[in-house]
Amino acid sequence: MTDKNNHSESITRYETSGIEERHGIIPTWLAIVYLVMFVWMVWYTIAFWTDKG
Amino acid sequence: MSTAANTMFEGGRAAPAIAATSGELFDRDLILKYMAAGSFWLVFAPTIGAIVSIKFNYFDFLGHISWLTWGRLRPVHVMGVVFGGFSTAVIGLTYFIVPKLCGVPMYKPRWGHHIFWMWNIALVVGFVSLMLGYNSGIEAGEFPLWVSIPVEIVLCMLAIQVVVTIKQRTEPRIYVSLWYLSSAYIWTAMNYAFGHFILPYSMPGVNNAAMHGLYIHYVVGLWITPAGLAVAYYFLPLAAKRPLYSHKLSLVGFWALAFFYPFVGTHHYIYSPIPYWTQTIAIVASMMLIIPVWTVIQNFYGTFVGGWKNFQDSYPAKFIVIGALYYLLGCFQGSTEALREMQRLTHFTDFVIGHSHLTVFGTFVVWATAGMYWVTPRLARRELYSKNFAQWHYWLTVAGFSVMAGDLTIQGLMQGTMLQAGTDFVESMVAMKPYWIIRTLAGITMDLGAALGFWNLYMTIRHGKEIPVPAGAPADYLPEPKWS
Repeated sequence: MTDKNNHSESITRYETSGIEERHGIIPTWLAIVYLVMFVWMVWYTIAFWTDKG
Repeated sequence: MSTAANTMFEGGRAAPAIAATSGELFDRDLILKYMAAGSFWLVFAPTIGAIVSIKFNYFDFLGHISWLTWGRLRPVHVMGVVFGGFSTAVIGLTYFIVPKLCGVPMYKPRWGHHIFWMWNIALVVGFVSLMLGYNSGIEAGEFPLWVSIPVEIVLCMLAIQVVVTIKQRTEPRIYVSLWYLSSAYIWTAMNYAFGHFILPYSMPGVNNAAMHGLYIHYVVGLWITPAGLAVAYYFLPLAAKRPLYSHKLSLVGFWALAFFYPFVGTHHYIYSPIPYWTQTIAIVASMMLIIPVWTVIQNFYGTFVGGWKNFQDSYPAKFIVIGALYYLLGCFQGSTEALREMQRLTHFTDFVIGHSHLTVFGTFVVWATAGMYWVTPRLARRELYSKNFAQWHYWLTVAGFSVMAGDLTIQGLMQGTMLQAGTDFVESMVAMKPYWIIRTLAGITMDLGAALGFWNLYMTIRHGKEIPVPAGAPADYLPEPKWS
């Protein structure tokens, strides 16, 4: 396991509540969604800033 | 903290050791009171909704009594679900979640009891006022001034309690539920004042409409959403008995919501005299909400991977999972509904009502219910009163609600298509009749489920089988019930 993997798999425990959480990752498919949405946001904002009739 | 058994639970068999003792992190007595009150409002408000829906089928049903007319009951239903049912449950759960995540008791713990009575009395007075016709005229901000003032005081007190408790915490790291909860209370203390003290008295005309769009969506996006997510994020890893999938995704989800949601509200006024660029920003922000929603969904279902066996025996887990599914569907519907072409088709139809039910009830009320199922047996130290009632609650909710959401969505699309094709408005209304009957029947199904479920929680507090507390257990010991 690489250091990066170790880091993403590291678990934090909240003692009083007993909740645990992984540091975790952003899955690739979700990162692609972020990118596509960002590109769409820029395009739509510019294209529809004013009513062109 | 209280040292006496709660008077609400006196009579019959008192719950064992309900009274909080010194050294306890949270006030069990207080939280159980909130769970009982929340249960009541979660049956009351949807029942009013079912009555209102009958008026679509029989337009003169209860129409001869002024305080039972559609225009007076509909606000009771909306305000009842948002502030009565959902909010009362969340406030109660706040008194559990915040101390558990901070490792210290709530700041000014006695305030919780004052808030309980102020909040519930304000709700009763508010609903009676609405039925008597006193309405500020701002949707989802309809309480008159004499109700809004105590509600605002309560929200400010809660914001102070939560923020100061977080500041005094012993846990080094702040879990995602605390980000959402603290933000929800601060945002809502400001937004509630905006909607109740500024909007009704200033900004006439189209500016008022635009600002109202913002207010109503701040109620949804800056109160119901973060408060509901706080509850779901807290109980998700506990119910799944798994670590949360990703802290990193929690960060993305929170900040994306905080960044995009404030611009969403104006999407209710597409094709209105509001500046075109303002509408465009609202559309863009609505679509960009896909980011926090899909992020949350990945985080939730990722947490359950490998732990589905725990799903079978846990009602909190079941409610969280089905709520997450409705969250995905409802929010995708909401995002795409903001697009101009979809607005043209769906505006002024029941598609919008379907969307609001999918998100407010299907997601957030269902998640609050999950929290109530987790907390009630543990704090009462009793087994769930009836597994069958819980099972019926779950399946009647799923069946009734799925039918209602699907029905309203299809009906809205049909009506929109008919109107676009030039069908006469009255004819389009006549065509909607079968869908309204289905909506009423589905609503009654859900209400039956809620009545069974919340009666079950109340009976758990009163008559559930006691779970023995091991000798020497700490004052805030939480047992592990069989079905919760």
